[in-house]
Parts: sequence; C-alpha cells; structure tokens
Amino acid sequence: MAQLDVENLTLVFGGLAALSGVSIAVEKGELVSIIGPNGAGKTSLLNCISGFYHPTEGVIRFEGHDLTRASPHTATRYGIARAFQNIELFSGLTVLENLLLARHTHLRYGLFAAAVFYGRALSEEVEARAYVEEIIDFMELEPYRKRLVGSLPYGVRKRVEVARALTLGPKLLLLDEPMAGMTLEEKEDMVRFILDIRAERGTTIVLIEHDLGVVMDISDRVYVLDFGQVIAEGTPEVVAKNPRVLEAYVGGTA
Amino acid sequence: MRNPWMQTGNYRTSYRQDTTIFATYSEQLSLIVLLLSLLFLPMFLSRPQMFVVDLILVYALAVVGLNITTGYAGLISIGHAAFVGVGAYTAALLAPALPFWLTVPLGGLAAAIAGGIVGIPSLRIKHLYLAIATLAFQLIFEWGVGHSTLLQQGGAIAMPRVVFAGYKVGYKNHYYFWYYVTLVVLIVLAFAFRNLLRTKYGRALVAVRDNDRAADAMGMHPGLTKIFAFALGAFYAGVAGGLYAYLSRAVVIEDYMLNVSIELLAMSIVGGLGSMVGSFLGPAFLVLLDLNMEDFANWLKALGMSLPGVDIASAMRPLTFGLVIVLFLVFEPRGLANWWRLVRNYFKNWPFKY
Repeated sequence: MAQLDVENLTLVFGGLAALSGVSIAVEKGELVSIIGPNGAGKTSLLNCISGFYHPTEGVIRFEGHDLTRASPHTATRYGIARAFQNIELFSGLTVLENLLLARHTHLRYGLFAAAVFYGRALSEEVEARAYVEEIIDFMELEPYRKRLVGSLPYGVRKRVEVARALTLGPKLLLLDEPMAGMTLEEKEDMVRFILDIRAERGTTIVLIEHDLGVVMDISDRVYVLDFGQVIAEGTPEVVAKNPRVLEAYVGGTA
Repeated sequence: MRNPWMQTGNYRTSYRQDTTIFATYSEQLSLIVLLLSLLFLPMFLSRPQMFVVDLILVYALAVVGLNITTGYAGLISIGHAAFVGVGAYTAALLAPALPFWLTVPLGGLAAAIAGGIVGIPSLRIKHLYLAIATLAFQLIFEWGVGHSTLLQQGGAIAMPRVVFAGYKVGYKNHYYFWYYVTLVVLIVLAFAFRNLLRTKYGRALVAVRDNDRAADAMGMHPGLTKIFAFALGAFYAGVAGGLYAYLSRAVVIEDYMLNVSIELLAMSIVGGLGSMVGSFLGPAFLVLLDLNMEDFANWLKALGMSLPGVDIASAMRPLTFGLVIVLFLVFEPRGLANWWRLVRNYFKNWPFKY
C-alpha cells in the first residue's frame, strides 16, 4: 500500500464540485507533482489531505491511518506538513520563533516545568533549538534568524514557510506553489532545497507548481487536474505527450 | 571576548544561554537592585502613599493577566474586571473559613474556570464578535451579583483582618503587610509568565494571535489554546481580585464593573500590549496620573478657575483619562514599553548606533 492513499475524493461547495472522484497514491520517498490550470482543484486537494477541508466523499489514508475527517493538527501529528501558497507565517515573531513553533508537538514538558523553566523544559527547549538551527543551516536562513518575519522580503518568507514545514519533522511534505512569484535565481535555489530535502531526509514530497519546466525536471510522477478531475497521471514524459493535458493547457485544436 | 559585565550587543555562545532573560551581570545586578529597592520602599513612604503603591501592584497583576489574553493571544477582553470580581467574591466567601494564602489562589482558580467558560465561544467566533462575548460576561456578572442575596446584591461584604504566622495585621500595618504579599505574588506570577513565554505555551499564545490557521497546521489545537489564554489571563485577574478584596477590606460591585474593565484595557494599551514591562508601567502611569489630576483640579479650584456648578475634579479625571488613551493610540500605539525598549537598546549597543 502506498504511503498516502487518496481514494475517490469528492469535495462539493454548494453546487460546485471542486473535486470529483480524485484518486492519487504516493509512495514513500517519491516526489509527486500536481499540475493543472487555475481553479482545477489543486489547492483544494492539498487542503483535504492536510485537514483544512473535509471531503464530501472519499477516503484519505496516510500510513494506514484514516485521516478523512482529521483536523489539521491531527494530520500534523501523523507527520503531514504543509507549506502554504499564500504565506501563512506568524509575522509578529522572528524566524527563529516561527521555526520553534513547529517543534510544538515534539515538546513534552508540562505547564509547571515551563513556568519555572527548569529541568525538562530547559533541556527540551535547548534540544528544539538545536533542531531548528539544523534546519536554518539547511535552508540557508542564518542571516535572518532573529529578524521579524513580517520585515523579510518575499522570497525569503517563502523559504521560511518551507523551512517551518520541514521543522515539523514530517514524513510527507505538501508544498503549495513554493516558487510562485520568485525570480529565476530564487527558483533555482528552491528547487535545490526541494531536491536536498528528499535526498538527505527521505521525505515524501507532493508539489503543486505552475512552472512546468521545474515540474518536468524534478518530479518522479505527475498528476494533472482539470475541473476537479485527474485527467492524466504518470512520468513527466508520458504526461507531456498526453493529448488531454495539451488540450487543458494550450486549448483544443480547432 | 565575552565580558559578563559589559558587552555591546549580544554575545551568547550556547543555545542554553540564548534562552536567558537577564544575560549579563549588569542586567542581573539591575534586577537585584530593583528588587531590593522594592523591598525597602515602604521605609520611605507614608501610609496613604503606601495605599497607592499597593493599588499599582494589584492593578499590575490584573494587567499582566489582561496582557496574556489580549496582548499576547490577541483576544480582546472587555470583561476582565468581572474576572477580577470572581476572584474577589470567591475570596470574600471563603475568607471567614480559610486563611488568605488559600482564599487568594482559590479566587484565582475560580476566575480561571470562569475564564475557560468565557473562552468557549472563541472556538467559533473571532475578533470583535469575541470581544462582545466577553462584554456579555461582564454584564452577566454584574447582573448575577446584583441579584444574589448571598453576595449582598453587590453591597459591601466586609473582609476580615488577617493573622499571618502569629503576626496580626491591624490598621497601622495593613498597607505594609499587603504590599509585601502583593509584591511576592506579583514577582512570582510575573516570572512564571515570563518563563512560559520562552516555552511552547507562550509561543502558542502568540501563534493563535498572528495566524490561527497556521497555528493549527503546527499541530496545536487553536481553540484549546484560546481557552487556555482566557483561563490563564483570568487566573491572574482572580488572584489580583482576591488581593484587592483584602487590601480594600470590602468587596463592592462598583470595583468590578464595566468601567474598570475599560480602565484595565487602557492601562495595558498605555503600557504596551504584549509587553511584560508595559504591564507595570501602564498601571503605574495611569494610577499616578489619576491622583495628580485630582490635585491639579483642586489647585485650579483654589485659583478660582472653576465653572459654577461643575466639580472640576470629577470632570477632569475622565477627560484626561480619555485624552491620554487617544494620544497614546495616535502617537505611541506600542505604549510606554516602546520607550523602555528604545532606551534599553541604546545602552545595549552602545557605543554603536545600532
């Protein structure tokens, strides 16, 4: 069985079916991309997997656990992390504090230990800090460590967003357009980070991206969504030749 | 080189060191000097002055609580005086049977439970709507006390004089005794919260303030975190209420009404929302301002500058109060704490500019 199994997912808002009968399966360690025109349902699918939306029909299974009706914090506890498309950082906090927040579920000390800040609270906080520093090092965020997130440039904030998802220590990382609106150089950096994440940490990655060049270069497999349905699936080479994909992207032949 | 006495900027060399609040010897020394001067302060003050200082400390404790709920967790509470009141009435009801070192914390617990209940709507509603829910609690509290014969329908419930470790607290030493009690409680609770702030509990509060969607994705339950913020803030308020009951020797509904809630909000805004230092500066500033306005008005009256039929003192107090809040909101929304921060940073980086 695949690590992530989404079966026959349907999501209806009022009369509009954002997703209808979507099934995807992602194996452990895979880098799978989801592409499709605007409004195809890519982000809705990610929202379902990470627990922000609950599907009208269908089943989501992650490592054998049924997460169909799980809330976001439950999904996080099972090891699903999510980087948001519209940066959703804690803008009044520093980069460091943002990342420390992602260690929340890994800190086990109680309220009393925290109030005296001694013993377990102190040692676990230092441990969490060491973990965060590792991620800061990995994502090359050293110059921004103690800067308020709200004051950082867009490209860096995007990187912090991915770094924070990574700090959760996830088994599955959902990246929602991590390269949107970036310069070419920033994009190249981000691609390198994504490939490094997979190579060094073995994290399964599901990527939504509009830059087809990037998608075709780095993905193991690609799902193409259009009007809430999977219209094609397979390796980048196969998908690129699929006539339905071409039609969805370039328009039908006259 | 790390010089523990004087350093320019931050020289912290381990993650553990980076969690400290008072890092250098000079910072630690200034804390000790501050605590010692607070310890010996009563030697230099008269009895009425002592009462003012006591009042500031009690308000500061309540404002720390309000800052937890409103400043750090971003949940506007217009019912904070009601939480103070829950603590005060609990202490008043238990005072005949239990010693004060039990009734005061129990008052805090009762308020915390009330806070948790008031926090339940925060699972569903946000921002202004939530503020209205807290206002509803304030009104329910006032109505409830006003209709309860057990609580004298809001009339005065006398608080007994206390005996502590064989030391009888009477007229002469009343304010001095409660000064030390309040001071110890305030220091312990303020440090406890300052410690919480550098742990996951404190970070969770700020997380739900800044972005509760993302907080959810971080693996915390945003609703429960908000309820926790209400309960914790109300606990501080309840303890302050218990202490205030003993200090003023009677519990009257007038001390816990809506206008007091607004005064507490004003104190936390003037001090600086979401700042520990501000929780002390705000109450000190407004309490002293209030008293001085009274003197100022009397002085004006003595000069013959009063209008016929108008009591200047009672007119000027709310006027200045409102003016100060407006001026702060316009010119220094981050409050007095921001001035403190600027001064502190100047000395921290000296001799450099930044």
